[in-house]
Amino acid sequence: MKNVIKSIIFVIILFFLIEGITYFLIPHQNIKKYGVLKTSLYEILSEEENTIDSLFIGDSLIYSAVSPMEVWHNYGYTMFVEASAAQLINDSYKYLEVGIESQHPQIVFFEANVLYRNPKNKAWYFDLYSKMESSVPILKYHNNWKKVMFKFLNNNDSFKNINVYKGYKYVTKVQSAQIKDYMHVTTKAKKLPAGNEEIFQKMLKLCEKENVELVLVSTPNMRSWNYSKHLGITNLAQKYNIEFIDLNIHNPLNIDWHQETKDMGDHLNHLGAIKVSNFLGQYLQETNLLIDHRGDQKYASWDESYKIYKNNLEEIIG
Amino acid sequence: MNYFNIIYGFLFLPIVIILYNIMPKKIRPIILLIASYVFYFLISKKLIIFIILSSLSIYLATILMQKMTKEKNESMQNASKEERKIIKEKYKRKKKIILIITIIFNFAFLFYFKYLNFFKHLLQDLFKITGNLKIVKHLAPIGISFYTLQAISYVIDVYNEKIEATPNIGKVFLYLSFFPTIMEGPITRFSDVNDTIYEGNKVTYHNFCFGYQRILWGFFKKYIIADRLNIFVKLTFNNYFNYSGLTVALGIIFYTILLYMEFSGTMDVVIGSSEIFGINIPENFRQPFFSKNISEFWSRWHITLGLWFKNYIFYPVSLSKPVKKITTFVKEKLGSRISSLVMGGISLFVVWFLNGLWHGAGYTFLFFGMYHFFLIITGNILEPLIIKICDKLKINRQNPFYKGFQIFKTTILIFLGELFFRANSIKDAFLMLKRIITHFNLNTFRGEIFTLGLDIKDFLVILIALLIVLIISILKEKGINIRKEISTQNIVIRFALYYALIIGIIVFGAYGPGYAPVDPIYADF
Repeated sequence: MKNVIKSIIFVIILFFLIEGITYFLIPHQNIKKYGVLKTSLYEILSEEENTIDSLFIGDSLIYSAVSPMEVWHNYGYTMFVEASAAQLINDSYKYLEVGIESQHPQIVFFEANVLYRNPKNKAWYFDLYSKMESSVPILKYHNNWKKVMFKFLNNNDSFKNINVYKGYKYVTKVQSAQIKDYMHVTTKAKKLPAGNEEIFQKMLKLCEKENVELVLVSTPNMRSWNYSKHLGITNLAQKYNIEFIDLNIHNPLNIDWHQETKDMGDHLNHLGAIKVSNFLGQYLQETNLLIDHRGDQKYASWDESYKIYKNNLEEIIG
Repeated sequence: MNYFNIIYGFLFLPIVIILYNIMPKKIRPIILLIASYVFYFLISKKLIIFIILSSLSIYLATILMQKMTKEKNESMQNASKEERKIIKEKYKRKKKIILIITIIFNFAFLFYFKYLNFFKHLLQDLFKITGNLKIVKHLAPIGISFYTLQAISYVIDVYNEKIEATPNIGKVFLYLSFFPTIMEGPITRFSDVNDTIYEGNKVTYHNFCFGYQRILWGFFKKYIIADRLNIFVKLTFNNYFNYSGLTVALGIIFYTILLYMEFSGTMDVVIGSSEIFGINIPENFRQPFFSKNISEFWSRWHITLGLWFKNYIFYPVSLSKPVKKITTFVKEKLGSRISSLVMGGISLFVVWFLNGLWHGAGYTFLFFGMYHFFLIITGNILEPLIIKICDKLKINRQNPFYKGFQIFKTTILIFLGELFFRANSIKDAFLMLKRIITHFNLNTFRGEIFTLGLDIKDFLVILIALLIVLIISILKEKGINIRKEISTQNIVIRFALYYALIIGIIVFGAYGPGYAPVDPIYADF
């Protein structure tokens, strides 16, 4: 009996401790108000609510290939890149959920390469975990310790909390690739790893519910993309009646694999990213879905961000 | 499902504990057996058939051998000395046939699932065969390398009459499929668990607390350290040509740390889970990074595998007729020291060739095995010379600085070995080493160190967590039983420690978006 009482007391104290720590870790105001506190993971939460027109979700291919500031400067559309290295599709779903919840964008681009990354957990497990995260929010926001515990490192100026690159990670380094026919035609479509399609269906359902258009995109990548994957994703896009833009087929952007890759064809560098970003800006313009926000006072921070972005790049490139 | 999956720790295990405890003593081992087969089915699906076949073969073989041993003992009772010798030989022959058939039967599965394709590649590479050998792609039953070795150890021990075969089929099946050990070991000998595995003792409050305490410690190592290092390691090993030499060197060091934290963390969960049911299974790690040489390292790292090779490969090879012949010849010609080196050399070569192959069907693993063979044999050859040099230079080998130097040297050699173990190819491993020297640029390192998935705060967490592991390792090395010490503290201190551990894992664990968990590395072996 003594042990049972001890155990109950232990669990009760643990519950209150977790509740208390959760209070410190979950973001309280960032969704409601611009730039008060951003989480270390979901940087999009530091953006003012409902100001992002288009989201990019994916892995390192996306954050190396899409520079929202270029699109802002040339077209006046607001984009945000929610990408992480070696992203798994269940994480993509989380990024999508957070992005849509806080921004309600009109178009979401999803890097098709993620669909071929093997998920560690099955869809059912992912569902269960999502439910657990909803009831125990610390599991979702635990990483916020980086912001909360290191508050003293952050400048009080709320603008400093904004990611001026909007998720883009620029690299100016050049490491030439050996030119090869990586999109050699084949008839065999590559199958998706088990479980990925189920999570993709959930992403589609969420977009449909929120009236967001989802477009699959494959950014130029010589090392892990091929024609077989192209066929697999083309079939998937047809099955769900969505658009698929493959920037690898016939090299429509004239990517110079000697100059525009940072690591021998795996990722683009800044030169390649400019090409992809402008292509996507043009694409968005042709959809006639978005408004050019340049000059709109509500988006003044984007002009400021662009200035910093440009200065930083000039400093690096010279 | 793996041991770090929340389903395991917070759903599967509690359900098993509850079911186990509410059942009568006799039924409890059956609950463990059912739980083990449910667990195995969840991770291997239809491949469960192979562990059933393996267990059945082991059970039948050992029962048959036990029957023969009994018959032999009965016939020898009234026999003369001469007759006894003949009876012994007769039964030994019979039992040997059963032993060989059982070993071949069990190794055939292992060979088919793990090595067939590798040997096809090897044949192709050696004889330049093109196109004729079909490569079959298939998934291997999880843990096959572990339960096969365990099964073989049981059958050999019964053959050698070191233990008696159990007539309880459930006990044999549970021994070979026990859910905490089925994926990644420890490779347990039957005599280690014979007394506890089928006892069905109630889960006590003490065992429950101690078991979960150990499980949490495993979670700490895996979630806070191993998973946090994973992206950095992946990026450096797969794209080393993009990074500075210092980053590559750090990636190599991080991989060894990751491997240790993942594997020893798994063992904490495994041993903790068994402890809950009062089942004692052997430890697999004993502060390996305090080793002063490679031989010592392998007596502290993956201990049960080392013991398996020692008992079932090293000794039989050393005592085999051909090796004995060679050593006798060498002894006559070159003396006893050289002959013992030759005997050790031959046996060690076989052990390390097989050890490399056991870790994986690939040239990198064979290289890994041969690398350690070379280091151990060189160590054995040079040892007298080093003692002489130390004596001449009046270096006290018990001096803490000398010991520190030995530990440092061994650790560097371990980092190098694990580099070959993890590298995508042997060539890649050498290119990584080359890059450390040719691209040793501090400025590039500064620019890229925080672009590999870890920021400064992550590095800080890793450092603090490693310091905690180090302090605990030092205390254990000094013979202090930390868990016992904690249990003697008052309730406030105990609760505070447990809360710190639980909350530390929840808050500082590297899970969720931005992190990629480490796959159970040893489960594929």
